[in-house]
Amino acid sequence: MVNYKVKFWDMILPRVQKPTRYLGNEVNAVVKEHSRCSVKVALAFPDLYEVGMSHLGLKILYSLINNHEQWVAERVFMPDTDLEAILRNEAFPLCSLETVTPLADFDLLGFTLQYELSYATILQMLRLGGISLLALSRGEQEPLVVGGGPGAFNPEPLADFFDFFILGDAEEALPQVLLFLEQSRQLSRAEKLFSLSRIAGVYVPSLYIPEFDQHGCFLGTSPLHANLPKQVQRAVVVDLNAAVYPVKFVVPYGGIVHDRLVLELFRGCTRGCRFCQAGIIYRPLRERTPAKLKELARELVRTSGYDELALSSLSSGDYSAIGQLVTELGMELAQEGVALSLPSLRLDSFSSQLAEQVKQVRKSGLTFAPEAGTQRLRDVINKNISEADLISAVTEAFAAGWTGIKLYFMIGLPTETDDDLAGIAALVRKVMSAYKQAGCRGKPRVTVSVSVFVPKAHTPFQWAGLIQRDEILRRQNILRHSLRITGALFKWHGVEPSLLEAALARGGRELSAVISRAAELGCKLDGWDEHFSFENWQQAFRDNGLELAELAARQYSLDDPLPWDHLDSGVTKAFLKKEYGLALAGKVSQDCRENCLGCGMSLLLEGKDGKGACHDARLD
Amino acid sequence: MMRVWIKFAKESPMRFLSHLDLLRVWQRAIRRAALPVAYSAGFNPHPKISFASALAVGVTSDGEYLDIQFAKRLDGAAFERLAETLPQGLKLLDWRQIPEATPALMSLVCAAQWRLTLQAEESSHLQEAVQNLLAASSLPVEREGKKGIKTVDIRPLIYGLEVDEKEACLRMRLASGGEAVVRPGEVLKLLSLPAAEGRLHRTELYLASGGCFQEPMAVLLN
Repeated sequence: MVNYKVKFWDMILPRVQKPTRYLGNEVNAVVKEHSRCSVKVALAFPDLYEVGMSHLGLKILYSLINNHEQWVAERVFMPDTDLEAILRNEAFPLCSLETVTPLADFDLLGFTLQYELSYATILQMLRLGGISLLALSRGEQEPLVVGGGPGAFNPEPLADFFDFFILGDAEEALPQVLLFLEQSRQLSRAEKLFSLSRIAGVYVPSLYIPEFDQHGCFLGTSPLHANLPKQVQRAVVVDLNAAVYPVKFVVPYGGIVHDRLVLELFRGCTRGCRFCQAGIIYRPLRERTPAKLKELARELVRTSGYDELALSSLSSGDYSAIGQLVTELGMELAQEGVALSLPSLRLDSFSSQLAEQVKQVRKSGLTFAPEAGTQRLRDVINKNISEADLISAVTEAFAAGWTGIKLYFMIGLPTETDDDLAGIAALVRKVMSAYKQAGCRGKPRVTVSVSVFVPKAHTPFQWAGLIQRDEILRRQNILRHSLRITGALFKWHGVEPSLLEAALARGGRELSAVISRAAELGCKLDGWDEHFSFENWQQAFRDNGLELAELAARQYSLDDPLPWDHLDSGVTKAFLKKEYGLALAGKVSQDCRENCLGCGMSLLLEGKDGKGACHDARLD
Repeated sequence: MMRVWIKFAKESPMRFLSHLDLLRVWQRAIRRAALPVAYSAGFNPHPKISFASALAVGVTSDGEYLDIQFAKRLDGAAFERLAETLPQGLKLLDWRQIPEATPALMSLVCAAQWRLTLQAEESSHLQEAVQNLLAASSLPVEREGKKGIKTVDIRPLIYGLEVDEKEACLRMRLASGGEAVVRPGEVLKLLSLPAAEGRLHRTELYLASGGCFQEPMAVLLN
């Protein structure tokens, strides 16, 4: 047997930059004797260590699996260019960090699908690991390859490369998958996959086939067997308070993107922003209790030695007991020299009281997201905040001592006109004058970050297309001129990555060949400007008879079968249609904590521990 | 308050840590062990932790030192906790309390002891090369600084140099502190062993006391 670890540490690591990210022996990393384990899982994040290690989901799965005595999970990330070249040139397989075990030696290889621009990287990692790219050509000895995370809600572009996907909360579905795998060693791959498909949340793409009419028009995706469900249901953790939380964060040596502790306050969001995929696929709102959160926070600090803890969720100001939690936890942690930060605050939940509390614990940057420049467009997207909310929130912030804030907007939202763009500049000017009204002298620093709206599956805007490339450039140009305001800094996102993201986000299985070709052309780490090659991606689309820009801009009609219709997020298509109609009519919907909008989630939860409706899952 | 010097080893798995990484690792370990470090006063307080001497990335050592000011008195159990929470490859070897007014350890270090394990083909002509080096009246080496290249005579800064044939190693005692520094790589280059830098090991740091070299754990302080 080759001793991969000795060779990797002695012969390879001394030749790479930043070797500490490949050591795998960080504090709280879990090392188990593989011969004593019944299931071995490699958890792969298709990006660099610094990015992947900042991701909470990976930590949750790592704990979930390793907490079980006979299961082992090890981490693997995309190697940086220098190590990648060495691995290729010396035919050294991509290995897990902890025990330097080749990916091919694991039973299960899980990829997180966080963003479309990581899809080519997945193929590069499979290739470096010596694993067959196509699921159907994998041998009995090769690991099962599974994907999860938001991308699993439209995984069709990746369907050829994955044996199965997990939709929804892995805390619920993954233990069932591993229990099954540990008991079914004697079964063939096909038999295993067929049985796995019975677990709620498990989608086996090879058991579902897309159908087309004689003109090649897509008709929908159907199960191969009568006893498979027509729609695969998402897995849901009903009681988040009782779910596993990773209290022993692996502590990296070098700096990573978010080098701090993260405490998830709740999952889900009741606001109903129509562009937001997370707002749909993480329903319903499930909170942890303040007592539980405090207990977790203490444990996190004790086991890691970090000096910063971020409270995280889709909209932290919406946590029922946010004021109490920030005050009490902030005071407790301050005594130990640990700072508390609150990265996701909504404008309308930002009160003067919260401003004071946040300021006391740490004066980090403040970011607000009005998303659109006019009330009309904010009503279209159902971002239920008013100009008065924004002005009062920034005034509070300035009065509390902040001298700079960051504002997030999107361009290309459905129905957007030049008036809405003019509204962004007008809003920024009002923010500027709020500084004086708050009694401050001089000018604040206002960073205006503008991204391009990319429509996503399972949202009310899933039928809309990305605006054309020239139009994006024209609108960015308008902003570039109108945002020439002293003290304001305009930041925009590149057009080309947005085009690719849009083309991949709502595509079907025809894109598997495109991604495969892109990987052949060398595409990888496309989220990094220095690696992204739009030319190669365009080439990959063209080589398969497709035009990237056309797919990005594709509009679906409301009656069109969609590539992800056979996947059930819990929210019905009828609800999404209704919301899309309201959006185009400029009508808002209420926060569903106030009034149930009938999105369908309550049906999915029915019969689960007596939780009939979503609000009931909230902890009062 | 309690000021402490800690002696530690940086073994193979930790040799890739940069100076900054290592500082972060110690800060987090100290926090895990729940030891209260004292902070500097001022607008931007920082923990009072410093190393005696930086060690190049890739080099191992069992003679590294930390100088820490704690906010309260600690007992032996506290240091046992600290030793236990260190990552694999970092070892707490010893500690001692020192008088509060002692100058920073970094400013006291004057020499470092190095060991290079020799490979078979290296030992043959080394003895002669070492003798030639020691016999030289001056050994000018060029260093690139901010103000361009300057030439430094390192001969007076080489305090000891010997080949131990029994243990197949080269031992060097070189000036290390302030302006008077010899980098071990400079000596290896003069001995025509430039490729050996990755095998270097630092065994001890010395302070000057009473006209001789003293180990930090043994030196008399008042």
